[in-house]
Amino acid sequence: MTAMTLAGTGADPRRRLKVLASQEALLAIAVIGLAIAVGLYNPRFLAARNLADVLLGNAYIAVAAVGMSMVIVSGNIDISVGALIGVLATFSGTLAVNGAPIVVAWLAALVAGVVVMALQGVIIAYLRIPAIVVTLGMLSILKGGLISVTGGKWITDLPDSFHLADIELFGLLPFPVFLMILVTILAALWMRYSASGRAIYAVGGNAEAARLCGISQPRTIVMVFALHGLFAGAAALLYATQLRVIQSTVPPNLELTIITASVVGGVSILGGVGTVVGSTLAAVLIAEIASALVFIDVSPYWIRAVQGVLILVTVIADILRRRRMAGA
Amino acid sequence: MKLGLAAAFLGATLLAGTASAADKRWDGADDLPVNPLACSAGEANAAPAAKPYDGGKPANATDKAGKSITLVDVPKLIGIGYFNATSKGMQEAAKALGNVTVKTDGPTEAKIDEQIKFIDNYITSGVDGILFAANDPVAIAPVLKKALSKGIHVVGYDANSSPDAREWFVNQAEFNGIAKSMVDSMAKEAGEDKSFAIVTSTFTTPNQARWIAEMWAYAQKCHPKLKWLETVEAQEDNNLSFNQATTLINKHGDKLAGLFGMTSVATPASAEAVTKAKLCGKVAVVGLATPNAMKPYVNADCVKSVVLWNPVDLGYAATYVMRAVVDGSLKPGATSVDAGKLGKLNVVNGSEILLGSPFIFTKQNIKDFDF
Repeated sequence: MTAMTLAGTGADPRRRLKVLASQEALLAIAVIGLAIAVGLYNPRFLAARNLADVLLGNAYIAVAAVGMSMVIVSGNIDISVGALIGVLATFSGTLAVNGAPIVVAWLAALVAGVVVMALQGVIIAYLRIPAIVVTLGMLSILKGGLISVTGGKWITDLPDSFHLADIELFGLLPFPVFLMILVTILAALWMRYSASGRAIYAVGGNAEAARLCGISQPRTIVMVFALHGLFAGAAALLYATQLRVIQSTVPPNLELTIITASVVGGVSILGGVGTVVGSTLAAVLIAEIASALVFIDVSPYWIRAVQGVLILVTVIADILRRRRMAGA
Repeated sequence: MKLGLAAAFLGATLLAGTASAADKRWDGADDLPVNPLACSAGEANAAPAAKPYDGGKPANATDKAGKSITLVDVPKLIGIGYFNATSKGMQEAAKALGNVTVKTDGPTEAKIDEQIKFIDNYITSGVDGILFAANDPVAIAPVLKKALSKGIHVVGYDANSSPDAREWFVNQAEFNGIAKSMVDSMAKEAGEDKSFAIVTSTFTTPNQARWIAEMWAYAQKCHPKLKWLETVEAQEDNNLSFNQATTLINKHGDKLAGLFGMTSVATPASAEAVTKAKLCGKVAVVGLATPNAMKPYVNADCVKSVVLWNPVDLGYAATYVMRAVVDGSLKPGATSVDAGKLGKLNVVNGSEILLGSPFIFTKQNIKDFDF
């Protein structure tokens, strides 16, 4: 893995922690700063209702980005996740309209997500095929399969109880936002403090050193993909239950938005570095920018360009940081 | 950067001082000529320039005027609610006419190569006429021309082919007709002097851009006090449409009295956004959409008008047009055709029959449709 030569070995861990903290702090400042700036232009932007809607409508991206961040930290990538979310949403909705108990319809999406992703993890880890190739293949299979099976027919008449995203905890906190926060905190703690969580950084940062420490690289990669499948399933449920209609198509460019959230969140595309707190903050920032563009009367098509700039700036900063560390 | 451009543009406009706001089309409209319909049904519409017949002609067709005929209908695909509805209309027309047998057969997926095979097989087995809804206007042309060359009559509906590959095409709705229905519904539901916004796919999507241009023209003419706030793009993406509609609601607050959904994705997503914001009855949603996706909102009284056409009537009209062609009562140069319970339908664009005003799905009738 290319990460091996660049990352891990020479870096001072305290210094790296400081840099990471600043990435997340930077994002938090950007989220708040942007809100204030747009609020000055149009105070309605700061209305609690609008801020809640920004989080509510995009929480599924943050949830999927948690899994994506794990995958990228482990030194891999997954471009099939957008297609998988489309398939899982359709799968769960189809079960629900055909009379399956709602809980079964929900669980089915999670289980299917884990199965599909773990399968990809096995192919990547044990057959040693690069993740980009495996997930590109899966992307085509899922996309083509979905259209072939459904014929693009929408799912309507979903039972009311199916709509997980409509639940408000304590009559206040929307479930998608709650799930986003919960998943982020749990994943962050697990990745930071547990042995299996640390193993993801070890495998992505320096595979050879990880092996010498007794960490099984293939097993770690399969575990990461299985978890990523679980989060993709959860994201698919939020995505599917937000509206009364499931489109039975793959949401356009969703995987790019999810990868962007991870990368802008400070997850190094070379592996070994990054946190899910960063990716969640980045997902919030991207959603906030999309809403802000409407509030300041700019075409939302600029969101793609803005995302592109964010990616380039973060990746260049990451590479420069690594070069400096490697040289030090 | 965009802001800077916008500011520069605004400055230039102010300096020029000639362009009034009313002259500027709404965002998302194209620049093509517009032809708004008359405000009330009683007035005559400005006649568009007459275009000569540009359809094809079957070679040596057997004269079956008044005799019983066998037709085959090959839609884009079978087994979906929409084409089940057109097929139902054809059976109704066949029953009303008494001397027509029509059978619907076609691919189970909307694939042009499959559709061509079906048509080719029916040419070989021998029918008097073919009704079709093309999966691809150009790719379907050769097989339709082959049918014409064998003396088989060919009439299209829903999705056209190149004009010379068929005789007539039954056009479900013209842009200015849809535009009139949309704007009239909005003025009625939101109020004549209220403000509205538009959720479209992209500013350059041809159909949507055409509809918005015609809506703008019709509103200028017939509902001049209705105020356009802005148009947002949402592609054909469910969640993006929902987020955009929600953002519009939050941005404009009480000022926003209506939302136009320009796609079958944007309309239910806008209705969902209004429902979630608990603004049903305060923000009217008017749009193009298919009935199934809109049933929850129409049944909950959150949406009153869903604009489209009636596919049952479309199939019915196509069968009457075919009968009229075989009987010789619809010839090139004709200006109208008799279509049974639908009355006289007008010929437009040389070789097209216009189904009539768009159909508006309401709480009363939406349960009768399943697509």
